[in-house]
Amino acid sequence: MRRWVLTWIAPTSLALVIVSAGVAQQDPIKIGVIAPLSGPVAASGNYVRMGAEIARDWINARGGVHGRRVALLVEDNKSDPKEAAGAAEKLIARDQVPVLMGAWGSSMTLAAMPKLEEYGVPMVVETSSAASITKRGNPWVFRISPPSEMEALGLEKYLGALGIRQADFMAVNTDWGRGAVTAFGDMLRRHNAGIGAVEFMDQAATDMNAQLTKIRGAGGDTLFLTTSVEQITLVLKQAQELRVARRIITTGGSSSPSQLVKQAGAAAEDSYHIVFFMPWFPEAMPDPNLAKAFVDEWTRRGNPFEGLTEGFRGHDGIATIAEAIRIASRAEPQAIREALWKVSLMGLNGPIKFEKDGPAGRESGQSRPSIFLVQIKGGKAALPAFLRK
Amino acid sequence: MEAFLQHLLNGLLLGGTYALLGIGLTLIFGLMNVVNFAHGEFYTLGAYLTFAAASLLRVNFVLAIAVAILGGSLLGALCERVLLRPLRGESIDTTMLVMIGLWIATQNGELLAWGGVAKSIPHPFPTAPIVIGPVSVAPLRLFVLAAVLVLIAGSHVLIHRTRLGVAMRATFQDRETAALMGIDVGGIHTLTFAFGSGLAAAAGALLGPIFLVYPSMGDLAALKAFSVVILGGLGNFAGATLGGVILGIAEELGAGYVSSGYRDAVGFVIIILVLLVRPSGLFARAGRVG
Amino acid sequence: MTTPFWLPNPYHLHILIMAGIFSILALSLNLLLGYTGLLSLGHAAFFGIGAYTSALLALKAGWPFVAGFVAAVVLAGGSGYAIGRLALRLRGAYFVLVTISFAGVASLVSVNWMELTNGPLGLPGIPAAEVAGFVFRTKRAVYYLVLAVAGLAYLVCRRLVRSRMGRAFVALRENEALAASVGVDGARHLGLATVISAGMAGGAGSLYAHYTRFVSPEVFLFSYTVTMVIMVVAGGKGTLAGPIVGAVIFTILPEALREATSWQWQMLLYGVLLILTLLFLPRGIVPALTAWRDRR
Repeated sequence: MRRWVLTWIAPTSLALVIVSAGVAQQDPIKIGVIAPLSGPVAASGNYVRMGAEIARDWINARGGVHGRRVALLVEDNKSDPKEAAGAAEKLIARDQVPVLMGAWGSSMTLAAMPKLEEYGVPMVVETSSAASITKRGNPWVFRISPPSEMEALGLEKYLGALGIRQADFMAVNTDWGRGAVTAFGDMLRRHNAGIGAVEFMDQAATDMNAQLTKIRGAGGDTLFLTTSVEQITLVLKQAQELRVARRIITTGGSSSPSQLVKQAGAAAEDSYHIVFFMPWFPEAMPDPNLAKAFVDEWTRRGNPFEGLTEGFRGHDGIATIAEAIRIASRAEPQAIREALWKVSLMGLNGPIKFEKDGPAGRESGQSRPSIFLVQIKGGKAALPAFLRK
Repeated sequence: MEAFLQHLLNGLLLGGTYALLGIGLTLIFGLMNVVNFAHGEFYTLGAYLTFAAASLLRVNFVLAIAVAILGGSLLGALCERVLLRPLRGESIDTTMLVMIGLWIATQNGELLAWGGVAKSIPHPFPTAPIVIGPVSVAPLRLFVLAAVLVLIAGSHVLIHRTRLGVAMRATFQDRETAALMGIDVGGIHTLTFAFGSGLAAAAGALLGPIFLVYPSMGDLAALKAFSVVILGGLGNFAGATLGGVILGIAEELGAGYVSSGYRDAVGFVIIILVLLVRPSGLFARAGRVG
Repeated sequence: MTTPFWLPNPYHLHILIMAGIFSILALSLNLLLGYTGLLSLGHAAFFGIGAYTSALLALKAGWPFVAGFVAAVVLAGGSGYAIGRLALRLRGAYFVLVTISFAGVASLVSVNWMELTNGPLGLPGIPAAEVAGFVFRTKRAVYYLVLAVAGLAYLVCRRLVRSRMGRAFVALRENEALAASVGVDGARHLGLATVISAGMAGGAGSLYAHYTRFVSPEVFLFSYTVTMVIMVVAGGKGTLAGPIVGAVIFTILPEALREATSWQWQMLLYGVLLILTLLFLPRGIVPALTAWRDRR
């Protein structure tokens, strides 16, 4: 029995000593960031982190918030909801952060949300698109990214110009992909466009020939594609090989057209992409100077250009948080939460201001981000013909 | 009908590469009794080596693939010497766990070294597809199919027609007797592992340009390889070859006609069915298994 | 037992709770792996089935926690029975693959069968565990609950292993033909071992669902099974303390690595440490400690 107890206590204590060794500093304002830094979407998580770091450095260069520096505590959620919850737990309970940004993927954000309520700490959601995130009656959630419904509304005004009669869908089999299919499908039905084939692909799948062969047979004029940039590359290439000739529109904002041009080459030509930031022509963004400065700083740091279409989210999230702390005058969770409702800021994507969303009395905050449409023409991203002045 | 032909062709092309993966694993798993969870990592390594050679060093495409295969084999040999040999007498679970550790370490090492952004490997083939009646296929895929056939044929020759192949088969049939006959048993183990890993690297090197290269690309491939091994029978070369093709076609037809979401379930279901009905594999002789 | 009092920080309690849940999982896997010699690599499936059963019954049918917990154990145990039947004909590598396939199919079903499981969106808002009116809402309460269940699991394993049935398991593991020749009914015993093992894993799943309050298809991830296997084998399979020690160490280790190094190195170091542990202590930690103690 004693040996048994010893074999339990010894390793536990040792590990806990290591764990407690990190002493939290009191002076800077700590902002927790939860992102997928390893695993299949590591690239995107890292882009968001890079954007957040630029925002932090700019804020500190201007003297911080009320004279205090901002420090980012970045945790990896390993693309796993259990880890996302664990990371939130650690950041709040151990590192005592008064506010969080994260967690990129919708399942990860949903897993971390109970912790926000448990401890009373607000979180700014910078990428997740599942509608349920702001509808669950969690008053500590504030989202600056668009749910799929808003994206679909953003595209709605171009339907006539695009001339979509019958559309097919191909989406990754996650809440994001399925949500997009529902949202865009509903939008198309409202305009009497037909829906043909709806195909899904597993997150890790590399061969989509089966789905594309079916879509080829369905005969629509447009294919809506919702998935990560790697799978989009594969779908474009395979669509070209299978001679699936139709207009392709990608949704979700993670399509990184620059990367597609690099990796899919001619197969990407003429495709449309819904994005939330246009680094190729920052002058077309709502705040051109900010956009240009961000693109310049990003390039100066040697970060890959392809990451800009996602990296801006990190910047806008941190900028929003910093503004809330400024309004609140203190880095304290409840105060920050109240201040977030008062934030009215011009971010890289456009104006950021939270509206109530969800069940009465327990609303979450949802901003109305700007939606943009670009097309790949001549191996470069460009505004579609009908949008050019 | 034309959709069916296209599905069939897709399945055949995919199946060839599954066969390569399966042959490598059936040797390691079937002959050496090592549950090699790192098999997928050699696949990934083959792809990254090809990328490094073709993109960074600007080496000729075919040469880059050859370099990748060689690199995969050498690293496989190294693995066997350093990790497996010291654990030779231990239980199957211990060696399996070491392979798992290797899998975790390598994949995260690759993430560290190359970053999470997928890489594409440049190749000299035209991108416009070749159209044969109702079906179309990319020239690159035809090249890959040809390369796969060459490699399978070459492996067959190695195992069934050379003294080395005889030595390998003898060692795994009866170790003591083989040693008594003067065969270097340790060396055979190393060579077998190297050979199997080299084939996995070849599969990665050939599929890398078709798809994309990223650190977790080996995970699904490894699982499919296990499917193929079961289907064909442990240690059964011809079985693995046929098994790979069958899996590829079954997946394509399943995804095309049943449901694309459950595509990867096909491999799993096959394993379960085969093991229920004919546990030694479709192509082996019957007998108690295990 | 008194840990929550000298470790009040909820983050640390969280780690211990997870360690407790994984102890139950490791103990259950050990029954198969360590005692009967059956290598099951699909154990995450039983965990996931338990978690989803408990969650769905609570959310959609309004069942109380205890009933849901029991249902989780029963359902997972039932699936274990099915796998056990397969074991009648298969051993070694083949059994491994069937279990992997089972977990793979379970995973795909949870992602694709939207009507039942809500697919990739998962099931949020699972109520906290509740026994006879007492709601386990605070970390401290959950900790004691998990400790109690883990203790129960340990006792069950201990009784089983020390009974005639346990000796029969070991006999089957060491030499099945010989065991059969002295009248040990392989089929019945293996079947029983898998049912109990799977049921325990299902119970752990239920605890997990009502603690994290969110279940998604990721519970079927192969990496969970891998983690369990690591805990059992590195801790010392075939011993009773081994899985528990393994669970504690390998739950704390990733968190400790989170502290110690930046995220780039965490998993890499984890893999390396695993390899080193096995190269130096191939039988596992507890057997090595026992051998060392016996030698002095």
